[in-house]
Amino acid sequence: MITLDRISKTFPGTDIPAVDRVSFQVNAGNICVFVGPSGCGKTTILRMINRLEEPSSGRITVNGQDIMSLDPAVLRRTIGYVIQQIGLLPHKTIEQNVSLVPELLNWPKSKIKARVTELLVLVGLDPGTVGRKYPHQLSGGQSQRVGVARAMAADPPIMLMDEPFGAVDPIVRIHLQDEFLRLQQHLKKTICFVTHDINEAVKMGDYLIILNMGRLIQMGTPLEVLTEPADDFVLNLLGDDRGVKILDLTRCETLMDRDRNFPYNPDSCLIQSVKPVKIALELMMKKNIDQVGVCKGERIVGVLTWNSIKEHISRVSRDRP
Amino acid sequence: MNFDLDIFMDALTQRAPQYLVEHLQLVVIPLSIAAFIALSAGIILTRPGFRHLADRVMVLFNAGQTIPPLAVIAIFFPFLGLGYGPAILALTIYALLPIARNTIAAVSAVPREVLDAARGMGMTSWQVLCRVELPLSVPTIMAGIRTSAVLTVSTAVLAALVGGKGMGAIIFAGINFFRPELVLAGTIYIGAMAVAMERVIAFVEWLISPAHLK
Repeated sequence: MITLDRISKTFPGTDIPAVDRVSFQVNAGNICVFVGPSGCGKTTILRMINRLEEPSSGRITVNGQDIMSLDPAVLRRTIGYVIQQIGLLPHKTIEQNVSLVPELLNWPKSKIKARVTELLVLVGLDPGTVGRKYPHQLSGGQSQRVGVARAMAADPPIMLMDEPFGAVDPIVRIHLQDEFLRLQQHLKKTICFVTHDINEAVKMGDYLIILNMGRLIQMGTPLEVLTEPADDFVLNLLGDDRGVKILDLTRCETLMDRDRNFPYNPDSCLIQSVKPVKIALELMMKKNIDQVGVCKGERIVGVLTWNSIKEHISRVSRDRP
Repeated sequence: MNFDLDIFMDALTQRAPQYLVEHLQLVVIPLSIAAFIALSAGIILTRPGFRHLADRVMVLFNAGQTIPPLAVIAIFFPFLGLGYGPAILALTIYALLPIARNTIAAVSAVPREVLDAARGMGMTSWQVLCRVELPLSVPTIMAGIRTSAVLTVSTAVLAALVGGKGMGAIIFAGINFFRPELVLAGTIYIGAMAVAMERVIAFVEWLISPAHLK
């Protein structure tokens, strides 16, 4: 668990604080996304957590320990760090790059070797062919994967990720995001994730922290932020397709009518209750129908209608007066 | 002035070779001292606390380069007198600049994101220097040492003027006695030594260069 208590940071030679009295908490096992325009302080906050920057005032604790009481190098070895520019050491092979932190921690050679192989497989790279290569011989997507593998090498409970998928093309990015979310289901790391892309934030985050000009504007789950934006800045950030984003995060069971009887026949369209409403909508549009049956396993538990979706979006995403 | 082949052959095979070791000393000793000083200065001047001083110290090194070696000897003559010591000192000052300049340029050119990642992984400043900054700087630093070496081989000829011996002895003897045979013989050795030094250092550079560049 990471806690920030009234953290401010003013860089030397400037008057305006880059980060202004920000407090929040990141719970264990969650992905917490810092999102905002460039210069909003999100990267600075991230870099204060592993002491690459020192706060001007305030307190940061990791698992209850004040990080200022720890040796920065020792602290950083327990926190995974991924950056957009990746920063692989150009004169080391991929294997050597991934074994960096375990080596700093003096793991035995055999354990490091086994761990590197395991990690490269985990991030979808072939240890046999990629392991001996140098960073300049890899594609952008491969380098990003190595960057993530390197950060996870010593199995740190906490990971800091600064636009980790920012430097690859959109198709690879979506692929990497999906893979990472799948990994996270098993790994349950505590992750701080920086992005300027609200779509990525909504997709990756268990929790969003929205920042502007060094101030914390709003925090909450993606659905909370989408349905109750704090002000016009957040509304603008969320974009024009707020309703569609909400449908992506709302489960069918939330909007279904439990009491209506669904006229079941072998041709009727069914959808699982945990699926997002967006998928139900897609189904309705494709088949040109107004309702689908919602089921839990084999059993039909309710009906989701076109009207109930429209009404829901109209209700929750109405612009505030 | 006519060219006597016998004198030339005699100079080439008998008289000049005895100065080779002396001349090599006049190159290797100043070069080693200069490399040590310039590398240390270059590394210190790229540390965060001293980076703002880098420009000013470079001005100093640049000034060192503009003073003719003879003038350096003249400046230090009252303290050190003539001979071997002042010659070594002048050549050292002369050899400093290319190495220092290249060291600072090389260490400053290590990509920021690589340093950031290295620190972020938990390397100490010392580990970052030894495992990242210096290995990546080897090619540029060695290029500086190579330039300095070639420069010193030719400048060291002047040492003979202040009693510092070396291959300059035979060359200046040739000039004084109007014997181009001696000048030519000495010059051939100087040229050969410059090429040989260059190749040897290039080989060392290849040996210690980072693996991804080989």
